[in-house]
Amino acid sequence: MWKIREGSAQHWLLRSIGIAIIAVVVVWVPTQMSSSRIGQFSDAFILMIAAMSLNLVLGFTGQISIGHSAFFGIGGYTAAILIKDHGWSPGYTFYAAAVVAFVVGCLVALPALRIRGVYLALVTLAVAVLFPTLVKWKKLAWLTEGAMGIDSVRYEEVPVWPILGELKGREGRAVFMFWLALIVVVVTYLVCRGIVKSRFGRALVAIRDNETAAAVMGVNLTTTKVLVFGVSAALCALAGVLSTLKSGVVTPEGQYVTLLGSIVFLLVMVVGGAGTLWGPIVGGLVYVWLDNTTRDIGTDSGGILGAIFGWADQSPATLILGVALVLIMFLAPYGLVGLFRKLWRKVVVVLPKPAGSGSSSPS
Amino acid sequence: MERFFQYVFDGLSFGAIYALLALGLVVVFRGTGHLNFAQGEMAMICTFVVWQFHDWGVPLVLAVVLGMVVGFALGAGVEATLIRGVAKKSQAGVFVVSIALFLGLNSLAAMVWGNLPPEQLPSLFPDEPVDFQRIFGAVWRYEYIGVLVVALVLMGLLFLLFAKTKFGLAMRAVASNPESAKLAGIPTSLVLASSWGIASAMGALSGSLWGGIVGELGAGLMFTVFIYASAAATLGGFDSPGGAVIAGLSIGVGEQLLAGYFPGWIGQEMKLSVALITIFVVLLFKPSGLFGSAKVERV
Repeated sequence: MWKIREGSAQHWLLRSIGIAIIAVVVVWVPTQMSSSRIGQFSDAFILMIAAMSLNLVLGFTGQISIGHSAFFGIGGYTAAILIKDHGWSPGYTFYAAAVVAFVVGCLVALPALRIRGVYLALVTLAVAVLFPTLVKWKKLAWLTEGAMGIDSVRYEEVPVWPILGELKGREGRAVFMFWLALIVVVVTYLVCRGIVKSRFGRALVAIRDNETAAAVMGVNLTTTKVLVFGVSAALCALAGVLSTLKSGVVTPEGQYVTLLGSIVFLLVMVVGGAGTLWGPIVGGLVYVWLDNTTRDIGTDSGGILGAIFGWADQSPATLILGVALVLIMFLAPYGLVGLFRKLWRKVVVVLPKPAGSGSSSPS
Repeated sequence: MERFFQYVFDGLSFGAIYALLALGLVVVFRGTGHLNFAQGEMAMICTFVVWQFHDWGVPLVLAVVLGMVVGFALGAGVEATLIRGVAKKSQAGVFVVSIALFLGLNSLAAMVWGNLPPEQLPSLFPDEPVDFQRIFGAVWRYEYIGVLVVALVLMGLLFLLFAKTKFGLAMRAVASNPESAKLAGIPTSLVLASSWGIASAMGALSGSLWGGIVGELGAGLMFTVFIYASAAATLGGFDSPGGAVIAGLSIGVGEQLLAGYFPGWIGQEMKLSVALITIFVVLLFKPSGLFGSAKVERV
């Protein structure tokens, strides 16, 4: 076992190695891999963003939500409507979608102030089921184009970013989406990290661990819960925008827009590690890998699940995911990241700085 | 007026099925304090088991009883093996496990029974086109009457079980204070497992009734019913069995009336949304549901 102090040279060396490995992978994927493989990475990025947003609410604040598919859908639809009907440039729709989802998220959180546990889960369940039905509603067809959804929402031409060089055709689009999704992942990660490490983040964890105690310590439960729901919804909407831009369509039964989307986000978060910053990132990669490897097992076994949720193919893939989820809950309650940390701690122990010696802000 | 009675009759029969599944949710919640997200999928699997028994030549009534026995075993088994271990660690963990069950059971049903042509589950009651009774001019099919009667009888039996038997007393004791119940010599784990079992057996019955009405079975059989049932349980209050029944019946009647009288605005596709929005509003003003008891926590 190797003991190092936080912020020491060895610690920074370890960190740099980690960052370097990630950087190599990130550059290697879009330059060396096939465009379908690049697309899978973009899918993983989209899931990471959604799972990170869910993690803020569930992992850090302890408020169960299975309504995030609705926020995802709101993002996707906001982008599609603005691009198609109002001629917006796709890049700006990220901001608009985030604002719309923030407002809706705050509204959904209102009942959450008085209810907890099961009831909150049910309110969010209601939201998840409501969203696709509302979108399909014929009285809203002027806006959402009903069950058909909105199609051909894409960048007319892939924007030219000097650093990427000239991108052409399908491959160019895949590479561009990869980098765009990566940027949003980084932004989302930084937002989550900023929140979690701040005073606000401590308040979230306090609410999760003991709501009454948190209130006694001066945490304003109302503002904190509403705000975190709003921020989480806004981040999830970014994932929705990316998904729409990537596939070019958004439909009421589309991928991750229905309740199954919320379940997938939950799965990604739990498998990676709830309440950890890196959990959703690991979870996203693992989920996409599992999904792509197990999907081909027995693809001809009928499409019942597809009939309910409209987009999934029937194969034992879902069963495998379910079993994996149960195993994780029993063997590694903090997910793969938690498991990794536990093992890593046997090799390297990072000691915290002695109190009062660091440059941490005296809050 | 005929229309009105028609909607009410139809609504009562559908509502009875929602109420049965909602009662299952309530029994689980009262016993262990968890929301079983997989309640509907467990019922769906049991319905397939009923179909399988029937397909092997078992008379339908017996097949339904066998299905309920399998349901009891499934529910109790799930509680004892999967839920209990996680429940000690975290509440959210139980929710995650029930979601895993939801996914797993759904996938399993599609894998086992998905490739066959859509199965026809015959109704437990006469359902020929001529089997109906006119009441106030409205058609009340024997099948729907049968569903309502069976559901109400089972609910009655359940109330007797809760209120009059020693087992019911034990269940209530465990629900109100598990520690003291254990000290008083009640086999807590047995009671918990059987409350999940009872809930799952009731799901099996509601699945069989629903399957008889729908006719074709599929892995998505119980999904909408589960949403309605959770709406009923929320509206009635999660710790009130009577509330779940009343709410289930009124959601059934309400959706039929709204969908029937406002076909333009609500119609068949929006009636579920109306139920959900109602819940949302009820929870805003009465967080513990209409008949639930507000939880007073000791700090």
